[in-house]
Amino acid sequence: MTLLAPLLLVGMVALGLPVAAHLLGRQTPKPIRFAAMRFLTPAEPSVTPRRTLQDVPLMLVRLLLLLLLVLALAKPASTDDAGVAVVAEPHDAVILIDASRSMELAVDDETLLAHAGARAQALLGSIPSGSRIALVWSDPGAPVVPLGNEPGQVLSAIEQWIDRGGPRPGVPRPGSWTMAEALPRAAELLADTAGGDRVRAIYAIGDATERGLGSLPSTTAGGAVVIPIPAVSPSTPTPGHVSIDEIQWEPAPDLDPRAVRVSAVVTRHPAQPQDQVDDVEQREVVLRIGDAEVARTSVDLPPGAPQVVEFTHTLLEDDAQVAATVELADAGNDPMPSDDRRATWLAADDALEVVVVNGDPSELRAHDEVFFLATAVGATADQRRMHLRSLAPDQLADRVDTEGARAFAETDVLVLANVRAPSVKVAEAIEEQVRRGMGLWISVGDRVEADTYNARFDDLLPLRMREAIVVGTAPGRAEARVEGLAPADLTHPAFKGLTGDLGLSGSRARRIMLLDPDPTRRPAIALSFSSGAPALLTREVDDGRVALLTTTVDRDWADLPLRPGFVPLVANVLGYLADTRRGAAGSRLAVGEPRTLRTETPIAVRLPDGRTVSLAPDEDGAAELTDTWQPGHYRAGEGEATTVFSVVVDAAESVTDRVEVDPVQLDAEQQVAVSVPRWREVLWLALLLLAAEALLRARRRRD
Amino acid sequence: MAESIHALGRLVPPQLREQMRGQALVLSRRALGRRHGRHASARAGVGLDFRDHRPYVAGDDPRRLDWRAMARRDRPILRQTDAEDELSITVLLDANGGMAYGEGAANKQAHAMALGAGLLWLAQRQGDPIGVALGHDGAVDVSLARPSGSRDRLGVLAHKLSELTPAGTCPWVDLLDALAPRLARRSLVVVISDLIEVGPDAARTPETEAALWRGLSGLSARGHEVVVVQVLHPDEIEFPWTDDRMLRFEDLRKIHDTLESPGQRLRDAYLQKFGAHLDAITSACEHAGLRLLRTRTDEPAAAAFVRLLGLLAGTAAADNVEARP
Repeated sequence: MTLLAPLLLVGMVALGLPVAAHLLGRQTPKPIRFAAMRFLTPAEPSVTPRRTLQDVPLMLVRLLLLLLLVLALAKPASTDDAGVAVVAEPHDAVILIDASRSMELAVDDETLLAHAGARAQALLGSIPSGSRIALVWSDPGAPVVPLGNEPGQVLSAIEQWIDRGGPRPGVPRPGSWTMAEALPRAAELLADTAGGDRVRAIYAIGDATERGLGSLPSTTAGGAVVIPIPAVSPSTPTPGHVSIDEIQWEPAPDLDPRAVRVSAVVTRHPAQPQDQVDDVEQREVVLRIGDAEVARTSVDLPPGAPQVVEFTHTLLEDDAQVAATVELADAGNDPMPSDDRRATWLAADDALEVVVVNGDPSELRAHDEVFFLATAVGATADQRRMHLRSLAPDQLADRVDTEGARAFAETDVLVLANVRAPSVKVAEAIEEQVRRGMGLWISVGDRVEADTYNARFDDLLPLRMREAIVVGTAPGRAEARVEGLAPADLTHPAFKGLTGDLGLSGSRARRIMLLDPDPTRRPAIALSFSSGAPALLTREVDDGRVALLTTTVDRDWADLPLRPGFVPLVANVLGYLADTRRGAAGSRLAVGEPRTLRTETPIAVRLPDGRTVSLAPDEDGAAELTDTWQPGHYRAGEGEATTVFSVVVDAAESVTDRVEVDPVQLDAEQQVAVSVPRWREVLWLALLLLAAEALLRARRRRD
Repeated sequence: MAESIHALGRLVPPQLREQMRGQALVLSRRALGRRHGRHASARAGVGLDFRDHRPYVAGDDPRRLDWRAMARRDRPILRQTDAEDELSITVLLDANGGMAYGEGAANKQAHAMALGAGLLWLAQRQGDPIGVALGHDGAVDVSLARPSGSRDRLGVLAHKLSELTPAGTCPWVDLLDALAPRLARRSLVVVISDLIEVGPDAARTPETEAALWRGLSGLSARGHEVVVVQVLHPDEIEFPWTDDRMLRFEDLRKIHDTLESPGQRLRDAYLQKFGAHLDAITSACEHAGLRLLRTRTDEPAAAAFVRLLGLLAGTAAADNVEARP
């Protein structure tokens, strides 16, 4: 605690006044108009007691009042408990405040963002006059204040955004931004300074997490000092909270044709500093379909370890798109409420769009490359509806030429059946889309050249191809030989729900593609030949999955399509490849991410809070919804043309684990401590005392 | 008239009015009025109660001859009966400033008025002539002192009393001097006062007090029945200011200087002096043959009135309130 105006403490001399007044002051005698005056005789000439203090409680109150007033005038201030210092000389400063979702965490009944606002206010009061101050937020949509000499303007901008920027006062927009992302913007503000060789500093106020202050370097490229300021002091404990980090769903045909399995990842982020005991907390998690709670389970949550909860639910026949929410049952007092629920759309009849690129078309259907594939897909239609479309390689190239990666926007699985290696451009488009979640199934054949495939799809292939060999012409052997299939590895996720013999055991392959072993690619082998060579392998690439069949899907190299197990094999592999996309029900956006809707007429979009916004399409027939700041279910259009998508928050912002933030050491004479004004509290106390004094005075008068 | 009745209603509290119902003003002494009344007369006259016999003289009414006595004595004997006369009542009301002390029903003036007006009302009801003499603000008002039995007398008196505001001092000596020639024979004189301060000059109080008692005993000697009703406030008797708070005593009569002191320091001397004063009054009354009724204003007026009637009738002692706390 320091005093900004210690000279004013001379006013303490005035404390003598009430003492003197109470010592010298005469009691006002109570008048009595009396009749029997003749019997009253004055005892002494003067009977006023003077040497004792009159009315000691009142005097004490007055003394204290005066003391507080003098103290308030002397402007008491405490040094900021985070030990933050500012540059002592006038300088150019940018205040960078983290306004990402992690700042929503409530510490001592106020969000971190509100704490950050208070920090900023104290900071503004401590920056030496003559400095120029600018304001930047980690939220790119928040208003920027350029360098200027008016701290008041910066302060009002801060207060305004904290109060009105987010969904509620003090709560940030639920976006996901690191502070480091905003640093270039802050540096840019400092760059166009005419301040000459003045010190340039960036005061970064945020939470001490990896995406907050932990993401910041100590200096910027432009040479400005970055001074990290935690929104709450490191000694303040921050509460733990529970978040739902992920929600997935998949059909569960093994239970019911319309059953879905909804799984969610629940994480308990422990209180900081971390609890010593690794206790397990039990929380209830609820699945809601629409507004109705349909399932509830409890989950044991050790600190920091994500736990998966799984619900199964059977959709009704008439459910086209069902809004499902997984939420914490008693989220009322969670200090970070935005991640306590997560929304997704379930769709039972979410048809798979399978595009088959036919590398070897034929007039005769039985010789056509995709004849067996199409037949197999058709046979599974009673369970899952798959829309299979066939393209020639040049049609594929045309589409990629005209639409780029959006050529595959509606495609769940792309099958390259015995296709000559596509062009670089097409391969890049395919790879981009696979990384976003599209499934890719490559089957080989005569037209597949190992080298070109290896070059174009190097990042996608489960294993690099070596060469195609004829099994029967192994060196030193005269008789024709074939490769049988070993029993399938039923633990492979593609075979989920299948049991026993797949019905592929009798198949024979005459030619197979040999592969280069490469353990770093971590392929998962679903089927292999009896010799041990892999027949069907899969690999996950980012959000997408790739399968490679080392023989043909028609009868050219093997008789696989003739086996009874071919139909479930195709259905399961296609389903597996499309799975990640299906879990997202076609569309899941991050908060704030714009969504383009294809429409010819103005379209109404219902937001999670029940509001409806109307969007008009541009001349290309695209309407862009930019207001996706509310997590939850969105529904655009009506009837057949309904598009649904859900908006979810980024789980990374839920992480509240603290990281050590090294305070920047300025030169000792170069810095002054940030002081937090305390005279407001003193004045409040003085006001209280004033009331007490009035009360005491009134009581004395009444006596 | 109605206004006067209202004024009377204000002066006499309801409980006292209730108490007066069925009561009669009876004096233990014989009255000597001009007219026929209700009080036993000091002389013989037309009445029912036997008084004595006396020899017939010429001019006596032959109807009053007692024939049986004549037969026994063998000469004309007259039978005399007790007459019943009216009783003249004069109330002396002290309206000095000190009577203003007290709040509400405990106000000394109100208490005094209730007793005085109640007495006058009772007397009027039984046909006795009534009068009031006032000492107020250093002056004497004897305009209504001569007892009168006229019908509207009570109303006029009530009106006068109700308009009276206590102030100044009561010049007792002047009042008695002015009153003496206006009194009827053997009348009842009721003095209502606090008897704390008897004259305008504080320095000459002992002389004035002696003159007062002389005057009152003179009235008594002339055959008037004098009753002294002393009205005191509990504060005057008990002096309740016992702590050391500063108090400023202001004189209601404006003859003493204002005094500032904590009550604690004044109390003992006051109580001693006040007790001595009361003792002096008691002994003065005994000495002069006056009847003394002492009443505190916290005593209900009805109770004090009953005691007053008992004192007049001689059926009860004054049973005066204890003056010492």
